[in-house]
Amino acid sequence: MSTASLADARRGLRIHVADRVAFALALPAIAAAIFAGFLSIAPNRLADGRPLALWQLGALDSAIAFGLLILLFAAAFIRDETWRSKLLFVAGAGLLIAILLTAGATAYGHLDPREPARRISLGSAFWILSAVGSLACFQSLQRVSRTAKILAPLALAAAVAAIAASDALDALSLTREFHAQRATFASELARHVGLVAFAILLACLCAVPLTLAAVYRENARATIFTTLNLLQTIPSIALFGVLIAPLSFLGAQVPLANKIGIGGIGAAPAIIALVLYALLPLVRSADAGLRNVPADVRESARGMGMTPRQIFWRVDLPLALPALISGLRVATVQSIGLAVVAALIGAGGLGTFVFQGIGEYALDLVLVGTLPTIALAVSADALFQIVLANLRCRP
Amino acid sequence: MLRAHKLAAGEVESHPGANECSQVAGPRLTRETLDMWTSSHPLTRRALLAGSAALPLAPVRAEPVIVASKIDTEGALIGEMILALLEAAGIPARNRLQLGPTRILRAAILSGAIDLYPEYTGNAAFFFAMDGDPVWKDARAGYERARALDLQRSDLVWLKPAPADNSWVLAMRADFADAHRLATLDDFARWTREGGAVKLAASAEFVESRSGLPAFQETYGFSLSARQLLVLSGGNTSATIKAAADGISGVNAAMAYGTDGALAALGLRALEDTKHAQPVYAPAPVARGLIVQSYPQMAAVLAPAFQTLDVQVLRRLNEQIAIEGREARLVARTYLREHGLLA
Repeated sequence: MSTASLADARRGLRIHVADRVAFALALPAIAAAIFAGFLSIAPNRLADGRPLALWQLGALDSAIAFGLLILLFAAAFIRDETWRSKLLFVAGAGLLIAILLTAGATAYGHLDPREPARRISLGSAFWILSAVGSLACFQSLQRVSRTAKILAPLALAAAVAAIAASDALDALSLTREFHAQRATFASELARHVGLVAFAILLACLCAVPLTLAAVYRENARATIFTTLNLLQTIPSIALFGVLIAPLSFLGAQVPLANKIGIGGIGAAPAIIALVLYALLPLVRSADAGLRNVPADVRESARGMGMTPRQIFWRVDLPLALPALISGLRVATVQSIGLAVVAALIGAGGLGTFVFQGIGEYALDLVLVGTLPTIALAVSADALFQIVLANLRCRP
Repeated sequence: MLRAHKLAAGEVESHPGANECSQVAGPRLTRETLDMWTSSHPLTRRALLAGSAALPLAPVRAEPVIVASKIDTEGALIGEMILALLEAAGIPARNRLQLGPTRILRAAILSGAIDLYPEYTGNAAFFFAMDGDPVWKDARAGYERARALDLQRSDLVWLKPAPADNSWVLAMRADFADAHRLATLDDFARWTREGGAVKLAASAEFVESRSGLPAFQETYGFSLSARQLLVLSGGNTSATIKAAADGISGVNAAMAYGTDGALAALGLRALEDTKHAQPVYAPAPVARGLIVQSYPQMAAVLAPAFQTLDVQVLRRLNEQIAIEGREARLVARTYLREHGLLA
């Protein structure tokens, strides 16, 4: 037997991992399902809970969850790409929905009318499995059509939202915290979105002259970027704090400022701080986009008889547009996160729940603030990605 | 439960070295900003109105009272009570509860961004930088002083306070305290002097502030070494209480607040401050003078309910919110209804 055919034989025998990401996802998920707590049952809101692992739940529930995990693991070895991605999506989405329903139903089973303060919280295994489930779904969508890339996550999100909106999860501590805040939740969410939207709008307006100066005035460029970089290094809580003093002074000294709501606390300092932070990603990417317009393209535009104004609007701007949108994407996602801290200076928003929860040592209340923040950031990011993908596809 | 009644260590600090930042984005830019969500910003509509009708004795004021509170359990509880009582009395009110820590609330009411919030009498000592004055240790005199100072200097009205004291306390596990016969801080001091193995979990501010641990040590004659302290950064008593209850890192005593609801639930007991080492922190509604003029009935609407809020009541209600996880709004309204204070 020649050495070449021996190597061939060995290769044929070796088990081949077709999808390393799926393989890497499945192993920690299985470990978490075995060793980590899936739910935690505490006598009250403050006391420590007793962990309950996935295999300690009902036989059917744990069989389904472990079956889906094995399916996920198996998917990593399927060589056919179409089948692999289909199986991966089914396993991932199935896992996500199965653990949600299991957690909700088990929580109902542990409610005790004699102990009304009892709290059933989601444990680390739940969060690891839900992350693995979502990541498996995204991994499965790597090489599918653009329509499927948009529709499949939407369908999954709709399914999760439908479960959350039904009463299936009402026995969980997280849902109870949410219900306790429902009177103010919508307005704080709207306030959060409002803060971010307005800050981004203002930042875009401020970014236009700064970008033009940075691109077309070489001597202003260094100053602009030094200042913006410096601003970015100030910790958010410090910047919010620093704005209180001058704005309070302004509000107290200038009657008009006070009348339109500018004072040391509330929306004004929050928006200003968010604008200052958003400027760097906006200006930097716009600057890069405009500077990277190839010189020969501009040259031929001039050769065609275009005026400098026409070149800017018809050549520079369309070519730089993907970079502009990328900057907008970074600035928006960053602002959604930063706006959480604004709750500390009275601007409200989802941070209200975060800080209230930290103060009361109620981690589920913290989640009432953080989960919607994450959802907002992820949806904003996805929205901009879709816009970008459409821009790039256009001839 | 964070009782933000002291200026907690983590609060926003403005430092003077960085004022340049404010000049980057001009204030005029925010005009449209704020107009767009007028519904959520208190000042805009009011300001337009105030321009024409905010003479000192404006007759009828249709604008709602903006009720705020600190971002903590008791703030939510008392704030919800105020909202319920004002609404029942036909005074329009807007909910801005859990707005932020003490410093923010104080700035907000001084600038007119909010109209009314519950504050603790002992905090006036900090507002007016008079924390050495013994007047704050007397509930009545402290309240009168706070009322007089704020009325004169800032046109703020301190309405009738609750007969409760939410000052710092030292708490220990009830079983441990029973075994060592510790009921008061005198007992605690004696036990510590005799070499009792104390380990106290407390915030940095409590350990360092003159009216905190140093006041206790001075009054009762004991001293704790650095090794006997577990110092946490924030003013968050949930962590200290939990440490003492579970014996984390050998902790057996905790800094807490007088009306903390978590104490009883986690098997802790506050040691009695027989010599009054602490200023009295009685919660009272503080309102802008202008709003009290517009709604002169406000004082009479709130007083009967505040009169019933003693330490036991507040502790029990705080516990329902913080430990049992009931909604502050429901707890407040149920309590008021049960006591015939709300129809």
